[in-house]
Amino acid sequence: MAEAEAEMGGEPGGRERTMSRAIVEAIATEMREDEEVFVMGEDVADYEGIFDTTTGLVEEFGYDRIMDVPISETSFIGAGVGAAQQGMRPIVELMFADFFGVAMDQIYNQMAKNTYMSGGSVSVPMVLLTAVGATYNDAAQHSQTLYGTFAHLPGMKIVSPSTAYDAKGLMHNAIRDDDPVVFMFHKRLMGLGWMPAPDGPKTPVPEEPYTIPFGSADVKREGDDVTVVTLGLHVHRAVDAAETLTEEGIETEVLDLRSLVPLDTDAILESVRKTGRLVVVDEDYRSFGLSGEIVARAAEEMLDDLEAVQRVALPDVPIPYSRPLEDEVIPSTEDIAEAVRATR
Amino acid sequence: MSDERVAVGIDELWPEDTGEDEGVVVDWFEREGASVEAGDLLCVFQVVKVNVDVESPVAGVLDEIVKEEDDVITREDTLAWIEPA
Repeated sequence: MAEAEAEMGGEPGGRERTMSRAIVEAIATEMREDEEVFVMGEDVADYEGIFDTTTGLVEEFGYDRIMDVPISETSFIGAGVGAAQQGMRPIVELMFADFFGVAMDQIYNQMAKNTYMSGGSVSVPMVLLTAVGATYNDAAQHSQTLYGTFAHLPGMKIVSPSTAYDAKGLMHNAIRDDDPVVFMFHKRLMGLGWMPAPDGPKTPVPEEPYTIPFGSADVKREGDDVTVVTLGLHVHRAVDAAETLTEEGIETEVLDLRSLVPLDTDAILESVRKTGRLVVVDEDYRSFGLSGEIVARAAEEMLDDLEAVQRVALPDVPIPYSRPLEDEVIPSTEDIAEAVRATR
Repeated sequence: MSDERVAVGIDELWPEDTGEDEGVVVDWFEREGASVEAGDLLCVFQVVKVNVDVESPVAGVLDEIVKEEDDVITREDTLAWIEPA
């Protein structure tokens, strides 16, 4: 048998997982090790999460630990905050980040601030798990990323993975963190049957648990000419753009932020110090957001090193339902390539 | 010997309540040549909007993937062959 295996090359790359499976694996592992960890949200039990974030969990852990809740974000996110303050480790799913509005007091005044407001007498070890992103024609109220909205508000950590490997490590870290973490997953990257992912997010994923620290950006591709800073779906589009640009003699460095709070400013500065050219790609709105923040940090710290800056972001409009109109506003691979060329 | 290989079939996994006789392979989680244990997750297929996990029937080596991702399948199909350990 060993001979047969050698003939076939043994384990080529090992087991792979989609991003959704990787997230579920991390949640299940933490639930087995700590009975204070539980999940609540709309359609997380019988339906197993509309974006496959809880596949198989109710079967293993039952309805006390995988709880379907009524459609009242204020009540169930508030219940999560209370449970967390009492020492439990809730993972609460806000089905779409777009729905934050109906529960924003619970999120930004309670979840994010209760540790501070109580003088440190309580902590809120809660994960707010939420779906973000467009590209599947779900219109203006179900397609936003809202990275900037969440990252703007102090008191909560904000993470968003671009691969299955990162998703598992970030989720382990999020559940073990003693402070509130908003875990924003991009729907297009999850590997859903009805919303096929691009090549890239499905990666080898070790069976054993591991963590990825927050505030640690990942260089997805090295290059000396231009730095592209992005996250989520647009990591893959930026890498695709970089492949095209190589043929034109432009070497692009692609930085995947992975977390917005804390933000790995050092990694951004280190790359821009090398290239002098910064392109920020953001699926969130252009104004008053992530792209302006990254550019400002670079300008504050190293204005003399900056030769050119470009922003590629969603225009300040509601995301259209119409497919050609949505394709027009969401930054494409070609939009990224064009912005990189424009820095030269 | 190829006649010792174990088929990865899906007839018994096919969701009965859909009334649909075609499905699609959504994701493979192992590649050809991988060593697998009995019960390891191999792939997932979808019928209408129902996802079905396919586990390895035996321990061995994933010798051949017959139905790739995005391939349309019916319940009689063999998705892969396992060379038993």
